[in-house]
Amino acid sequence: MSAVIEVEKLHKSYGEIKAVNNISFTVAQGEIFGMLGPNGAGKTTTMEIVEGLRPADSGSVSVLGMDIKQRSRRIKGSIGVQLQTTTLYPRLKVHEVLDLFGSFFLKAVSPEEIIKLVGLEDSTNKLCINLSGGQQQRLSIGLALVNDPQILFLDEPTSGLDPQARHNIWDLIKLQKEKGKTVFLTTHYMEEAERLCERVAIIDHGEIIATDRPDRLVSQHFNEEAIEFQLDRPLGDEVLRQLAGATNVVMENGGVTVYSKSVPVTISALMDMAKQSDMKLTDLYVRRATLEDVFLKLTGRRIRD
Amino acid sequence: MKALRKLLVSDIKQFFRERSALFWTFAFPIFFILIFGAVFSGGDNVTFNVGLTVEDNSPAAQQLSGALQQVSAFKLYMGNQSAELQALKDGDRGAVIIVPSGFGQAVSQGGKATVDVYYDPTQSSSAQVLLPIITQILERFGQPAPIINVNPVTLQTHEIRAIDYLTPGILAMAIMQLGIFAAMPLVVQRENRVLKRLGATPVRRSTMILSTVLFRLIIAIGQAALIIIVSKLVFHVPMLGNWFFLAGMVILGALTFLTMGFMISAFAKTQESAMPLLMMVQFPMMFLSGIFFPIEMMPGFMRPIMDAMPLTYLADSIRQIMVQSSALHTHLINVGVLVGWFAVCLVVAVRFFKWE
Repeated sequence: MSAVIEVEKLHKSYGEIKAVNNISFTVAQGEIFGMLGPNGAGKTTTMEIVEGLRPADSGSVSVLGMDIKQRSRRIKGSIGVQLQTTTLYPRLKVHEVLDLFGSFFLKAVSPEEIIKLVGLEDSTNKLCINLSGGQQQRLSIGLALVNDPQILFLDEPTSGLDPQARHNIWDLIKLQKEKGKTVFLTTHYMEEAERLCERVAIIDHGEIIATDRPDRLVSQHFNEEAIEFQLDRPLGDEVLRQLAGATNVVMENGGVTVYSKSVPVTISALMDMAKQSDMKLTDLYVRRATLEDVFLKLTGRRIRD
Repeated sequence: MKALRKLLVSDIKQFFRERSALFWTFAFPIFFILIFGAVFSGGDNVTFNVGLTVEDNSPAAQQLSGALQQVSAFKLYMGNQSAELQALKDGDRGAVIIVPSGFGQAVSQGGKATVDVYYDPTQSSSAQVLLPIITQILERFGQPAPIINVNPVTLQTHEIRAIDYLTPGILAMAIMQLGIFAAMPLVVQRENRVLKRLGATPVRRSTMILSTVLFRLIIAIGQAALIIIVSKLVFHVPMLGNWFFLAGMVILGALTFLTMGFMISAFAKTQESAMPLLMMVQFPMMFLSGIFFPIEMMPGFMRPIMDAMPLTYLADSIRQIMVQSSALHTHLINVGVLVGWFAVCLVVAVRFFKWE
């Protein structure tokens, strides 16, 4: 598969802060590529440089084989962009905004088609200000689709949405992939990256620290499972580390995660220890490792919204 | 072209769906005029001061003068021609009727009698009432078609009513507000990243700016028309000058203050910071540009401030065009100052405006 986005050695600083620090990656034709990281990691800055909305300090970006610095306007005609925005035009109706945006491109999909595509049939004549958060987001993605773009850029497409609305947006994005479009999205939701993206770049402090398929990222870094529980008193992690089978321990605000290669052995050791020292364990559960754990392992921090 | 048209139509649609924008643009200036008009205008508009000079001793002339005295709408002043015409020029008469010698002879011989009527064109309503009445009276003498020479007299010390003075000023003020408040949607659209979102499409920034400018010009002309019509209907404020010249000044004024609005939007990051900036620009202009009071009434030390305000010059020109008030400056100076402000604001706006 050929690459539709190629980014090499990208740098962007704001004063002292290196927002983007030597980032390189490629996005292949037809894939859903996700950039995962906490807020302020440099995801949006990177994406906006690729979209031609910000100049880079150095490095090269090519989109659809064209240099972003020279062919920016041409590229903008062939990509669809969704930014983290509130309502664009509160006092225009849904079909009016779509019609307006269509007029910016040489060729545009009709508002009716877009409305059907993003499932806003019941809101065609609603003013944008009266749309729900989920509907706004659908419209926002619909606006990114008016020119039938080859690449779809989605910046935090489900941020702030309830689970129902989030699943709807995921279905919408998958549908676009099935239609042959390439999708480049940013997110700080682990689940979103795991369920939606074929490849994920983990980004922190302006640097990409790992890029791969989500399942491979997990299996590369973990062949153990995670045991999580709450403790009723503070406890040194060296005690927990000595539990049979335990490979690593992370403590945070009374919450403990013990990684184990052999969960039954570790749990029974944990129970014995709790009984002996009269300690109370609550909310105990076992899960397989996720991207969250990968991020935690690589950065020592959790991604939190 | 298509993008420009759609952007313009979208601007207009949004404007008419925003009640507060409609209020500030259309209702607010009209309120001003209605309130000030009601305060300033006395209720004695029903009678006209009419000067009458009879230079003919014939019975016909006496009959005419007697008939005019019967008209309850007229307060008749008798005097000689030069004195009455002077009174007209001083604004003490709405009209002067002169019955020339030879009037009676013409009537008795069944010929065409001549009556000269001089009137103040700014009080065209008085002439409108006057002329049919005189015609009627003369017809009573069995005159088929009396000749009435109508002579509009431009007054030297034109007695402009307060409302006549005020209306063009309010018009200028409304244009100023429409222009500088263009900063608000720009700041909001930048804050809400609408400008950025548009920047992610191939639409050109020049197209975006042009649509805003055209939109504001259309509204400015509509606003001007509404103000002129309402003040004419309610308070008989005249529009004496050239309509095209007036439209030209409205457009020049709108462009100048629009550029000032763009400039202000360059220095405000948020809506909250834009508002005080706009007030700081708006209020001094409202009160120090001779909108509500003639500049001569203000203390002398304020003159330099007033002389710096672009609104002073726009209001002055519009006032001269509409009601032929005495000029503060020539039109050439007024246009020159406005163009100067336009150029300065444009340079600063282009230099400092940020799209995000």
